[in-house]
Amino acid sequence: MYQENYDDVEFGGDVDLVANSYANSNLVEGELDEEELIMQAQAGVQSIPEPVRNFLANLHRNLANCNVGDLAYNYENQFVRLTDKFYAKGPWPEPQYVAALVGDDGLFLTLYRELYYRHIYSRLHPSMETRFRSFENYCDLFNYILNSDGPLELELPNQWLWDIVDEFIYQFQSFCTHRSRVSKRSPEEIELLKENAQVWNTYSVLNVLYSLIQKSSICEQLEAGQNGGDVIEAAGDFGVRPLYKMLGYFSIIGLVRVHCMLGDYTMALQTLENVELGNSRALFTRVTACHVSVYYYVGFAYLMMGRYADAIQSFVHILTFVSRTRQYHQRSYQFDAVNKKAEQMYALLAIAVSLSPVRVDESIHSYLREKYGDQQHKMQRGGDEAIEIMSELYLYACPKFIMPNPPSYTDLEAASKALEPQSFQLKIFLREARLQLVIPTLRSFLRLYTTMDLDRLSTFLDLAPAELRNQLMVYKQRCRQIKWVGSPDLLKGESTSTTDLDFALQEDMIFIAESRVGRRYADWFIRNTNKIQDLVNSIENRQKATITNGGKPKAEEEAGAVPVEA
Amino acid sequence: MASTSFDRPSTRPDEIHSLLTGVERYNPQKAGVLEDYLVRQCANPDPVSNHDLMANLALLKMYQFNPDLVDLDIIRRVLAKALISQSQGDFNLCLYLLSDDICSDVSIGKLLVLRDYLEGAQFDKFWKEMYGAEDDDEESVVDGIAGFDNGLRRLIIGQITSTYQTVAAKAVEKMVNLDEEAVLRLCKEHNWPADSNGIITLPLKSENKAKNTVIKESVKFEQLTKIISAANDI
Repeated sequence: MYQENYDDVEFGGDVDLVANSYANSNLVEGELDEEELIMQAQAGVQSIPEPVRNFLANLHRNLANCNVGDLAYNYENQFVRLTDKFYAKGPWPEPQYVAALVGDDGLFLTLYRELYYRHIYSRLHPSMETRFRSFENYCDLFNYILNSDGPLELELPNQWLWDIVDEFIYQFQSFCTHRSRVSKRSPEEIELLKENAQVWNTYSVLNVLYSLIQKSSICEQLEAGQNGGDVIEAAGDFGVRPLYKMLGYFSIIGLVRVHCMLGDYTMALQTLENVELGNSRALFTRVTACHVSVYYYVGFAYLMMGRYADAIQSFVHILTFVSRTRQYHQRSYQFDAVNKKAEQMYALLAIAVSLSPVRVDESIHSYLREKYGDQQHKMQRGGDEAIEIMSELYLYACPKFIMPNPPSYTDLEAASKALEPQSFQLKIFLREARLQLVIPTLRSFLRLYTTMDLDRLSTFLDLAPAELRNQLMVYKQRCRQIKWVGSPDLLKGESTSTTDLDFALQEDMIFIAESRVGRRYADWFIRNTNKIQDLVNSIENRQKATITNGGKPKAEEEAGAVPVEA
Repeated sequence: MASTSFDRPSTRPDEIHSLLTGVERYNPQKAGVLEDYLVRQCANPDPVSNHDLMANLALLKMYQFNPDLVDLDIIRRVLAKALISQSQGDFNLCLYLLSDDICSDVSIGKLLVLRDYLEGAQFDKFWKEMYGAEDDDEESVVDGIAGFDNGLRRLIIGQITSTYQTVAAKAVEKMVNLDEEAVLRLCKEHNWPADSNGIITLPLKSENKAKNTVIKESVKFEQLTKIISAANDI
């Protein structure tokens, strides 16, 4: 789930205690005898409400029968409804009680536990214990999937598979943030962390993602698909099954996210090398959250790389999609998550457009102006206020960055004072942005003239001429960006000019040139030509119909013909 | 398509390429291989072929994952190379993979300052910072990188030729930190005529030609298929 604003607020030891006793009734094993244990278990099972029990039984049955359609209904609708009705404030029933209901089915319980922990993360506050257990559960699940002898018979709906991968990465990020906040961790927790360095270890997480990708041969499949080769052959035994294929595919997207979180934007874009972003029937479009995710991270990576034009293109593409399909997603439980991401993208778009002004699609432009018009004006004027607003928007909209390693437990003092990855990335980005801000400010002045003397312009701008000269050079450098032109490799592109204003200096004289878009008449003419052609065709058809009706009656075509008016 | 820093440079050996494209790039034991490759890049004075951004980024990523392997001198060299790279974004990409701790180191800090001057086109401050202090007996921050000065001058000249149509020779001297004679030699080399007042005329190319353009619409053939097929039917 997209709980990006989730803050790790500490409730002291109390929640731990409660969660412990909930999750770990082994504590009381020594004290109660067997009969009491059985009674306790029975009481636990009894406490599960009837609708929930039915739901679990259905889920179990559909899982065993690989009934993907019904599973999708169970997962997307019933689970959400029951959560809202019974478990809005508390966790779902204990996995061990559920075990009694489903006859201890290992696979089902692993999947159930995944849902159980996911729910705790989203509605409640996970304790350190919960985090550890959830990690172990994921290890179980992925071990089962990756280390089976032959391809598994299991099938799950795409939405569920995406959520598994997404939640896995989310919990990883949450853990990294949690552990790096050393000042808020109690000494016992720090000991626990030190002793269990393998839990939520960065290498393990990456290993899972890479293994899923490798097992499903998804890269080979995508490549074969693009080059017209044999996809089935490229897939191999495992990749042919939808479970592996989709998990592999979603892992690619997951990797993009992890790379962005670690600040490696080139790797993020490189990972998508076989995924065709322009293809409207690509696999990622099957799950909306995935679709939105892809464009968000691609756009963000471009933004950080200074390729503002590409970032804008990416954001505008997905935002038009979201706004057009908004009415279809009202009822989907992902609606909130998708909306949140869309809002963040508007903020990033506002930053990108301020740094590299271009025309955007009308509806997006009006929404942007409505929401961030004020901020955009301030950003374009440059100066400290611009930087402040940019920081604010950036911190709202950026992904949660992480440190791949645990902090140094030996030097806790230094670790607690270390700059958070968020702030570090922001600092670097702002450095770039400060330079880039030259463009909108100079542009607004240069647009008014065709030639201008350097000294006069410098008095207008209140700068020393030498300073202005430097700024002009910077403008020149910055108005050229690499723009992606549709190759499968997202990193490639052509160097193009991204502003409509260009100039040249002859010693001290500035010659300004503007490029404008000529009138586009072709589309209008084509559309109207087609319209009139259709009109003529339909009139002719009517004519023909009346003529044939007036003459010999024609059996077949009469159905739609104009009634005869004799 | 012009090549970007992300393409595979012709000088990259296969060994490095397979390292970068597989999971071995996460193997901390391979850090040495990438470090050696960086040293080889530094030894190569040819500015066209001596910068392999992807390999250097992989090395920095390895440092990010294994802080105990961090070698500040290597990082300094990676950053110095990125500074004079033809694509302007390289330096930043390297920075994203570092940490605040590393950035507070003295020589790295100096590189950051140099980069601010260079990207802000404040060339005189840049040269002063690099070579200014007379009593500096510490090693220059760009030590051990062959062809640094040349690569740098190439970059600056590129910027000058994009911005100016005519420029005073004196201004050029200040920007590239060469004396009058050297600048004249440079002009001869690039075939730029310099007149008696010391004004150099630079060749016109797309970047420094200030011409009002109108972007005309290009109608693709596919848009006309419906009309043409209708015309055929008649």
